[in-house]
Amino acid sequence: MNFFRWLTSKNLMAPAGASPDAGASEQEVPDHELIKACQKGDTRAFESLVTRHRGKVYAMVQNMIKNEADAWDLSQEVFLKVWKALPKFEARAKFSTWLYRITHNVVYDWLRKRKIDSAGELDDGILNQSDIAAGSRTSPSTSARPDQALANSELGQRINSALATLNAEHRETILLREVQGFDYKEIAKVMDCSLGTVMSRLYYARKKLQSLLSDEKRND
Amino acid sequence: MKKETTEELFMKWIDGALSPDEEKQLQVLMEGDSNLESELTRMKALSESLHAEIPASVEPPYGDFFNSQLMRKVDLEIKAQHPAKKAERWWQSLRWAWAPAGALALVLSFFAGHRISRTSDTQGLASSSRMESSMASLTEVYFAGEALEAEVISDSEGQVSAIVVNGLSAIRDDIDFVTVSTEANLPSTYRNFEARRFQ
Repeated sequence: MNFFRWLTSKNLMAPAGASPDAGASEQEVPDHELIKACQKGDTRAFESLVTRHRGKVYAMVQNMIKNEADAWDLSQEVFLKVWKALPKFEARAKFSTWLYRITHNVVYDWLRKRKIDSAGELDDGILNQSDIAAGSRTSPSTSARPDQALANSELGQRINSALATLNAEHRETILLREVQGFDYKEIAKVMDCSLGTVMSRLYYARKKLQSLLSDEKRND
Repeated sequence: MKKETTEELFMKWIDGALSPDEEKQLQVLMEGDSNLESELTRMKALSESLHAEIPASVEPPYGDFFNSQLMRKVDLEIKAQHPAKKAERWWQSLRWAWAPAGALALVLSFFAGHRISRTSDTQGLASSSRMESSMASLTEVYFAGEALEAEVISDSEGQVSAIVVNGLSAIRDDIDFVTVSTEANLPSTYRNFEARRFQ
């Protein structure tokens, strides 16, 4: 590795938040540049890509399986698969869509395996409130007044509990749309289904969530 | 209106993605159902709550360890794809010389063959006399019985030859070759051999 490349890699490697410029320097190098470097075998560029995207992947997996330890392992698996598949990645595709497609596959493989192991059903029953890890994050990332924070935290917990009762497809559709902000086409690509199916899943997921949260409110 | 179409209209309204035409279609539906607008408004509020309450990005615990573990796995993956080469033997290091050595050997063989061929051409006469002598050796005929003699007659090019055997007893005129017994007038060893063969 030549000195210039080493220096660039060092810059990329600086952890976000270590210095005010650290995050900015990471943002300077676009994903596609890092991907090109990765495709040439540059592992430091790959580590930068991981550092940039690991939070989103981990949040997605964690919200899907509601288990912190497994979410950590599965996120590792996602990125390892990304490394293996990167040589085949075509620049015209959107990296985030591709990354979430791999995440989708890893999560569904895990759910399938878990279904086989427990001989249960891959449906609403597989993830219930008892599956939610004690330390799972439910509060918003922005700071708020203590009373507001408590209220928000309660709402967040209720939403998380309601989400856990949805089946995997509905939960993933909601998360991709509402949390990750994907458009319908991107969701269809990630989940490998038609636009109509995305719309339908989104409609029933929202309706069910609405109904669950209303019931909870009424019970309170 | 089809169920799928109405669902699509509802979702697009919540996400603010309706086209003017679709907006008109939804307006018609809302006029026909007084609860529809309030229901969709509640869904929209839920959508906003989801966006606010669930973080899009959560750093995995022990982020540095996450990276170091992952990169260790990546290194293992790279090593698995490109295993380290074994130390070469001394003669393997000379393989660069194999190709020129082989080419040289081919050239030398060619010239050697060429020279031999030319030598044979100059010795054509000797060669043909050798051929005649080999023909002569071929014309020797061996008989078990000493009373027999053979004469080989061949044309000058050695392509046609005839063997004349002298000393054979005359074949009797009364022998009927069609009905002759295999045992008649034959040596006993031959008769025994034939008998075993037909068993």
